[in-house]
Amino acid sequence: MGNEKKLFRENRAYPVVFMLAITIIFIGVLATFYQLSLEKVESYRQTMMKKMVLSVFELPIEDIDTNFEKYIKVNNIDELMYYEAVTDSISLGYCFPISGSGLWGTIQALLSVTPDFSEIINIEIVDQNETPGLGGRITEKWFRKQFQGKTLLIDNVPQLFSMIPENEKTKSNEICQITGATASSKAVVDMIYKNVLKYSPKLRADL
Amino acid sequence: MKKKEIFITSAFTENSVWRQILGICSALAVTNLMMNSLVMGLGVIFTLALSGFTISLIRDYIPKRIRMMVQTLIIASYVIIVDLFLRANYPEISKALGPYVGLIITNCIIMGRAEAFAGKNSPFDSMIDGIGAGVGYTFVLLVIAFVREIFGFGTLFGFQVMGDWWTKWSIMVMAPSAFFMLAILIWIINTPKKQVG
Repeated sequence: MGNEKKLFRENRAYPVVFMLAITIIFIGVLATFYQLSLEKVESYRQTMMKKMVLSVFELPIEDIDTNFEKYIKVNNIDELMYYEAVTDSISLGYCFPISGSGLWGTIQALLSVTPDFSEIINIEIVDQNETPGLGGRITEKWFRKQFQGKTLLIDNVPQLFSMIPENEKTKSNEICQITGATASSKAVVDMIYKNVLKYSPKLRADL
Repeated sequence: MKKKEIFITSAFTENSVWRQILGICSALAVTNLMMNSLVMGLGVIFTLALSGFTISLIRDYIPKRIRMMVQTLIIASYVIIVDLFLRANYPEISKALGPYVGLIITNCIIMGRAEAFAGKNSPFDSMIDGIGAGVGYTFVLLVIAFVREIFGFGTLFGFQVMGDWWTKWSIMVMAPSAFFMLAILIWIINTPKKQVG
């Protein structure tokens, strides 16, 4: 018995068989783990998205699922997905996913606008890979807050904000950029412009 | 060797980072926050301990010529388990660490310990050795992260420790500071040894 085993281990096919067997075992284990975690990952992703949508409309984010049901309608137009927030059958506004290239990767955000597309309600950063502590500060409230109430369209064309240094007083067409993160700040402004250009004609035609 | 001795040797006397200068890529990458460093360290400890154990367990059956393939497969599997676990249970930390969890696979410390220790010693000793090497690595990460987070963000583990008067050092947040900090650390620790030896 021991002799036979030894013989097979000297066989040229042994490494191949061994590698094959160990690969199958480990892939099996991994597939099981993957299946087990799949549901959790997906449900977290959805909850986060719902939370972001609620918060971009400044709705309560305590009871995420219930509030999402209650206030938010998910719609599609020409394959573009957007959300509408409704309270007491009055539309609060629209929100749509926007994205653009940041310094290190794609920045994804949600932008909410008033029903007539005249003003920005809020912006939430969903995903970004900017430098932590510098470009990563685009997620901070003070930076996002600057966009609130800003005029979105001038003569039906999206407004492109100009950048001024941090902590200076802004005019209606200006946004304070983050010190040390000009590119990331600019990326947010640009992606608002580009995406509104894409979304506003379609959505407004539909209203 | 006694268990305690194995642990001390691999964690401190022969520390992977400052004695062997291994695994420094990730030491540079994730050390701007204490929390990220801690989670990264725990991931590495887990991977080192279990991959060491597994490789040692089957060491007599692994064909010599393909041993590195086998080691990589085992290491990669444990790393993916860590990654999946974080994604499912600590999604925020998983997001903050980004690709670095997956890159534990390429951490030289793990392959190094597999080659240098697990391939020749008993499973339990290999596990102790792995935990030791992981603790040593985590220790370095935390020391660097302590300095970088406190100067770069004014916080520790996310808690504000510096007042509003503190001007954050942007350099500490960015990669270059990790090079300085790691070099200084290695310098400080290795200097007295050199004088004695």
